[in-house]
Amino acid sequence: MSETRAPTPTERGGAGGESVRRFLARPAAPALAFLAVLLVAFTLANDRFLTASNLESIVDSVAVLGIIALAVNQVILCAEIDISTGSMLGLCAIAAGAVSLSTGGILLPLLAGVAVGALAGAINGALVTLGRIPAIIVTLGMLYALRGVILLVTGGTWITGVPEPTRFLGTGKVLGISVPVLILFGLFLVMELVNRHSTWGRNVFAVGGNRVAARFAGLPVNRVRFVAFTLVGVFVGIASMIYLGRAGSVQTNTGVGLELQAVAAVVIGGTSISGGRGSSLAALTGAVLIGVILNGLILMGVPGIWQDAVLGGLILLAVTTDVLRRRLVGDKA
Amino acid sequence: MLRRAWLPKALRATLLAVLVLAVAACGVGQQGPSQGGGGGGGPNKICMMPKLVGIPYFNASEQGANEAAKEVDVDLVYDGPTEAKAALQSQMIEQFIQQQCDAITVAANDPNALAPAMKKADNAGIATGAWDADVAKDARDVFVNQATFEAIGYELVDVMAEQTGGKGEFLVVTGSLTAPNQVAWLKEMRERMEEKYPEMSIASVEPGEEDLQLGIDITKNYLQAHPDTAGVFGITSVALPGAAEAVEQIGRAGEVPVTGLSTPNEMKPYIESGAVKKFVLWNPVDLGYLAVYVANAQVEDKLPKSGTFKAGRLGEVKLLAEDEVLLGPPIVFSKANIDQYDF
Amino acid sequence: MSALVGTMRSLKFSRELVLLGVLIALIVVMTLLDPLFLTPITMLNTSRFFVEVGLMALGMTLIIITGGIDLSVGSNLALVSVAVGFSFAAGLPLPLAILFGLVVGVAAGLFNGLFITLLNVHPLVVTLGTLALFQGLAYGISKAQAVSDFPGWFAYFGQAYLGPIPGQLFIFVMAVAVVWVILSRTSFGRYVYAIGNNEEAARFSGVPIRKVKLALYSGIGLLVGMAAVIYTSRVYTARGDSGVGLELDVISAVVLGGASIYGGSGTIGGTVLGVLIIATLRNGLILAGVPSTWQLFVLGVLLLAAVFVNEFFRKGEE
Repeated sequence: MSETRAPTPTERGGAGGESVRRFLARPAAPALAFLAVLLVAFTLANDRFLTASNLESIVDSVAVLGIIALAVNQVILCAEIDISTGSMLGLCAIAAGAVSLSTGGILLPLLAGVAVGALAGAINGALVTLGRIPAIIVTLGMLYALRGVILLVTGGTWITGVPEPTRFLGTGKVLGISVPVLILFGLFLVMELVNRHSTWGRNVFAVGGNRVAARFAGLPVNRVRFVAFTLVGVFVGIASMIYLGRAGSVQTNTGVGLELQAVAAVVIGGTSISGGRGSSLAALTGAVLIGVILNGLILMGVPGIWQDAVLGGLILLAVTTDVLRRRLVGDKA
Repeated sequence: MLRRAWLPKALRATLLAVLVLAVAACGVGQQGPSQGGGGGGGPNKICMMPKLVGIPYFNASEQGANEAAKEVDVDLVYDGPTEAKAALQSQMIEQFIQQQCDAITVAANDPNALAPAMKKADNAGIATGAWDADVAKDARDVFVNQATFEAIGYELVDVMAEQTGGKGEFLVVTGSLTAPNQVAWLKEMRERMEEKYPEMSIASVEPGEEDLQLGIDITKNYLQAHPDTAGVFGITSVALPGAAEAVEQIGRAGEVPVTGLSTPNEMKPYIESGAVKKFVLWNPVDLGYLAVYVANAQVEDKLPKSGTFKAGRLGEVKLLAEDEVLLGPPIVFSKANIDQYDF
Repeated sequence: MSALVGTMRSLKFSRELVLLGVLIALIVVMTLLDPLFLTPITMLNTSRFFVEVGLMALGMTLIIITGGIDLSVGSNLALVSVAVGFSFAAGLPLPLAILFGLVVGVAAGLFNGLFITLLNVHPLVVTLGTLALFQGLAYGISKAQAVSDFPGWFAYFGQAYLGPIPGQLFIFVMAVAVVWVILSRTSFGRYVYAIGNNEEAARFSGVPIRKVKLALYSGIGLLVGMAAVIYTSRVYTARGDSGVGLELDVISAVVLGGASIYGGSGTIGGTVLGVLIIATLRNGLILAGVPSTWQLFVLGVLLLAAVFVNEFFRKGEE
């Protein structure tokens, strides 16, 4: 307590001091604590909750959300936002699904999904950086425009009968663990490494923390943000293959509402909406938290119509906790 | 400074004007073949509205409607909101009125919400009707019904009873807990079980909200929490494939019978894999076809008040009441006949 | 300084002229596609649909001028609709139920305002959360059911005509006048612009920022409540899914009308023209037989185009 230390990079928590305090200062700490409490509570309420298969099925069901949240996390870290991911997922799933109907296999549909996603993400990025349109407006407009594209392109018909091999990314198992879970954790590790060790990954925090200062420091602010938006598209493309596998077909309303859940996951997990503070662990925790809560609600028999209210309440709770925590800890991230 | 300010301002203004018009023109370039042309003379204009556009069931009815429109030589406008919301339908009905339709027939998301708009249409001299899902009785002149609630409910239970020896506790996955037709089917199902299969009962009704992934997850969660469930009913075209998929994913296909209401194209993979042996529906293509015939007959004042009515290739179709036309008995789809259908 | 003010004035003036031009051009195009469009009946009917969006857009204009935003207006409308319908169904006399609904609307707006001012949370994320919260409450309380058996006089809000003119148009015109006066003729209005131009400077100048913002978010809550009553009356049903997605139209109208999303500029006149343009577009497309699947796409692109033109060239002038 009487040690002096250099200003800490706030996203990594405090340096020095007890490791517990360091842990508590991590962005994801409150969410992890809340998750632990919930796991205990649900287990007490229903003994079927803590079985390995139920837990795996929870993580499995949030794989799509989690992967998208990992990427949206980067956008929010840049102090931007993306609420177009739901329509993006629908469009990518349709592209991947359509390709799988003619070519089968995994690679080509995956490439199709990722390509479409990357294109949509790039459009978002270009409009925000070059067009200088606020991200909330860009992604709001794209949310509707892409949904319109889905309806126009499909003419309302669904994609059904996706071949079995294509569905591997959604329903397969490797070494006994379900593939979506593996992909989710794999991408989580990748993003952690990127944020710690790559130039772009570190720049994201700088740009989000103080864009003007970052610009003066010579950082390629526009390029950093553009890459973040495009990354969302790529991850949505990957997630669409998982969706395709799990659902086996694509409807015109696939993905509706997902964009809100993705932002909720990131914010609830502990990444700050004002940018510059957060982590991939926060995004992952937030997604799992949402999955646990929704799963718990179903098990407790709470009617599905209350889901939105719960989600909204959680966002507000997370935001309030963040503000209170900042006031207590005293940093002005 | 002042002079320089004008240039981008004028440019900005012009650009905005051009963009707005271009966007409008883009949309307008997609006009359907039928345009508003006025009421008198020329072919009758039939305006038909599904619950929503963009799902296979209503695409199938559009197919049938188009077929009938060609046969009786009418101007068909088939359009609906992109979400199954009554308020959007209400607004569209008012716009149909402005388009001077001769007849308006609608598949209602909410029977009461559409009543004011339909009454307005009636006052404007437009023939009013409903199909697939009825509006309030005093808000339309005729209802084209695909199958009675009783026939559907009974058939569903009979199909399931066949596969489960007439006993057990069942899960029903529905769309929304308040959709009138789904509520009516549940009532008939319960009645049939009471009367004919007293050892069958419905243990739970879960709403899938027309979301495929949600339907899959709900079914999986339920079956894992209640492994003794004897079978699953999926009573909407989204709930049934979801239930079948769920049963397959937990590896109990064939062991836990699944049946319900859905369209053949969506169900073909599950019929082939054996997860679903039989399921029930009517022919939405025929339903759309019939709705156009009925609407046209209304405009021409040729619709009888009882007995039967000749509707093109469907032959003589029965009138259940002065204001209700029945398509026919439900169809049971199975491996034997599913390849005959493409919708 | 006066030259700057002069430029600013002529800036606003010419922008509204351009919007008027666009509106006229749109009407011409729509009429060419469907001659029925230009009949007074059709035009007046169009106005029945845009009053709800218009009322909300008035409040949204002021919020956007301060650099804020409110994404929850659509869900708030649903909540008020449910509040009116279900309190009536539970036995409350309809006039009280309507009052209750208005109170709910204001309370919801105040809820937003408190989060934004007391906790200093960005309006974007607060209203994203309340978008979900209000929607969920509307669904949950209504249990996805609807209330339709209102007494006949309830229809007057949304379906009445005074002569050939729809009743709600009068309400809208009055609201426009009131909000316009507030924005351009009172010190409150000056505060709004001041906050939008530079919040820190405004704070130092003694502008009561917190009170202004609370008033703005509660104020839009009142407008949402009014819009909800009119909407519920027009479709004659109180449902939990009313108004979903309306925030797109509202924000598009304000932005189309010339307000900068970063704050500091915007006018009521521009917003009204923005509302008219969107309503003409929506109604005209349907009348011309354009399938509704195109409307989503068109409106999304329109929003992007409008803001693009707005911001890209505005920044170029700085």
